Amino acid sequence: MLKKLYHQFASPKTYVVLVNKMYPYIFYFSLCIYTIALVWGLAYAPADYMQGNSFRIMYLHVPASFLSQSLYLVMAIAAAVFLVWKVKLAAYMIKSIAPIGALVTFIALVSGSIWGIPTWGTWWQWDARITSTLILFIMYLGLISLHGSFTNFEKADKFISVLVLVGFVNIPIIKKSVDWWSTLHQPASITLTNKPSIDPSMLYPLFFSMIGFSGLIICLVILSSKVQIFNREGNKSWVKDHV
Amino acid sequence: MFDLFKLELFKLRKKLRAWLGPILVFLLITISFPLTVELASDDLKNVFYSILWIASLLTVMVSVEGIFLEDYEDGTLENFSVANDSLFSMVLIKIFIYWLLIGIPISLLGTFFSVSMTGEMSSFYIALPSMLISTYIFINLFALGNSLSLNKGSVLGALITMPLLFPILILLGKIVLNANFGFEISNLLLLMLGVLLLIIVFIPFIISFIIRTHLE
Amino acid sequence: MSGSAMLEVKNISFSINQNRLFQNLSFNLSKGQAIHVKGSNGSGKSSLLRILLGISSASKGEVIWDEEIGKVFLGHKNVLKNHLSVADNLHLHGLDVAHPEVRSILKDLNLDQKAELLVGNLSYGQQKKLALVRIFLNQSSVIILDEPCVGLDDQTRRLITTFLTTELGKNKSIIYTSHIPLELPSSEVIIGIL
Repeated sequence: MLKKLYHQFASPKTYVVLVNKMYPYIFYFSLCIYTIALVWGLAYAPADYMQGNSFRIMYLHVPASFLSQSLYLVMAIAAAVFLVWKVKLAAYMIKSIAPIGALVTFIALVSGSIWGIPTWGTWWQWDARITSTLILFIMYLGLISLHGSFTNFEKADKFISVLVLVGFVNIPIIKKSVDWWSTLHQPASITLTNKPSIDPSMLYPLFFSMIGFSGLIICLVILSSKVQIFNREGNKSWVKDHV
Repeated sequence: MFDLFKLELFKLRKKLRAWLGPILVFLLITISFPLTVELASDDLKNVFYSILWIASLLTVMVSVEGIFLEDYEDGTLENFSVANDSLFSMVLIKIFIYWLLIGIPISLLGTFFSVSMTGEMSSFYIALPSMLISTYIFINLFALGNSLSLNKGSVLGALITMPLLFPILILLGKIVLNANFGFEISNLLLLMLGVLLLIIVFIPFIISFIIRTHLE
Repeated sequence: MSGSAMLEVKNISFSINQNRLFQNLSFNLSKGQAIHVKGSNGSGKSSLLRILLGISSASKGEVIWDEEIGKVFLGHKNVLKNHLSVADNLHLHGLDVAHPEVRSILKDLNLDQKAELLVGNLSYGQQKKLALVRIFLNQSSVIILDEPCVGLDDQTRRLITTFLTTELGKNKSIIYTSHIPLELPSSEVIIGIL
């Protein structure tokens, strides 16, 4: 009974039906929220007394860096689910999240660099966060190229899951060690780690922008997972009706 | 287990380019770095350890590239799995033999270089243990990456392995820094040894799972 | 069906990606029996052997071996190292060229003068023959061969047939795929579907 329930829940068909129902709500809701956050943050929030207007890029940068890591966390959970319970849907999710994770990490890197030009006077600093984000970006690209190089998708699913998990164990170690390294090479003149407390007038739009941006990325993940399911299970009769 | 060790050693020993080649590559990299800086300056002394670490990393990268490839392509691994022999011990032994035939020689060479470069015996205690431990870790991690990218080329293997190595490189950098300041380095070496002990069994286990999947 | 089955195959199906190879295949293998797996190219013969060997797993169904049965397998890969000599390769398989049994088999295969040559310098047929030495000298009770006759001359093919017939007489079992039938006694034929 329980087994049946879980098989049904984990079946791509149930997933697609559920997601099809929810997609418009998530999409319009997050679009509204993100628009509100942007308008609020860009037009109404006061300029920072130190950084002027350049800080406003944080409404893109902060949600992107947040997602670059949380998407990896989601992939790691999916990888564990796939390796332990052999749920195919989980493998499809990894495959569909990886390029989006890379994209989001790229956005975080670029927006961080742009933010850095007026703030630090340089677009690149060997700062712990930036360096570990760059490493994360390379890891995403590694995952994508690994999966892309196998013709047998079932094997590729297992390999990508193993690599996601190995990387997941490594991410905190990389972050910690890079942190250790950067504090040793440069004094704490410019660190992002100890942010001054944010004024509520910036905090609320930031909070909304996180929710809105995450929602939009979730929509992207849903679309990309539907492409995956179509590619992998396209010969099943239900796929034509639902995907 | 010992028979397996002898066979694997026989296989690698008989293939000169697979173990002597990397040692020579290490030699070439270490002598090519000084050619690019002014010898008179003190710069070389400061960056010499970095050269050692990167040279050993690159050497391990090129040598471990084909660690499972030949056995995969000629059917040895398949035969192994048919005979119900333990892939895990095979991987464990293979990695150990690579360290024996490549890791140890380049550690000794590197130590020799660093002592003659700095002219101080203290470099011996910095270079030798750090290189012995770090090469073993590098071989393990590159073996993992190359088992994933088996028969898909070494570029992919390097791409997925390198990010995993950064913490070790940082640790190596920290060891040199501490030594330069005259601080204790034994705790850092112990930390690195701890990392090695953690992965020494765990990584062959993951690799044997990956190889089994490849054979499917 | 004579004797008890040492291998039971129940309703196995196999597919790669979305490509179905065979479905609901069932058969038994008993001692002293030979099974010839026939089928067109791409019908999944090799995949079937790999499933029986436990290298791959079937998409559906079960493969049950009697416990502790030794299997020996020769597939498309020869398990030979090109950069090593014939003698060294035999050594890797635990065989000594100087041993009289090994010597006589090498002589039968016309390889006795080649012990010091590198395998990479042998012809395709000679490599295939060398790969057979390991099969001829094995002690396992099940012999599984995937296209053993490809690229071999008539003489060697006859040698294979004679060898397999003797092994069947010793109550060993054989599963093989081949486009050329080997004319074994009591050969049972099954066919890969589709």
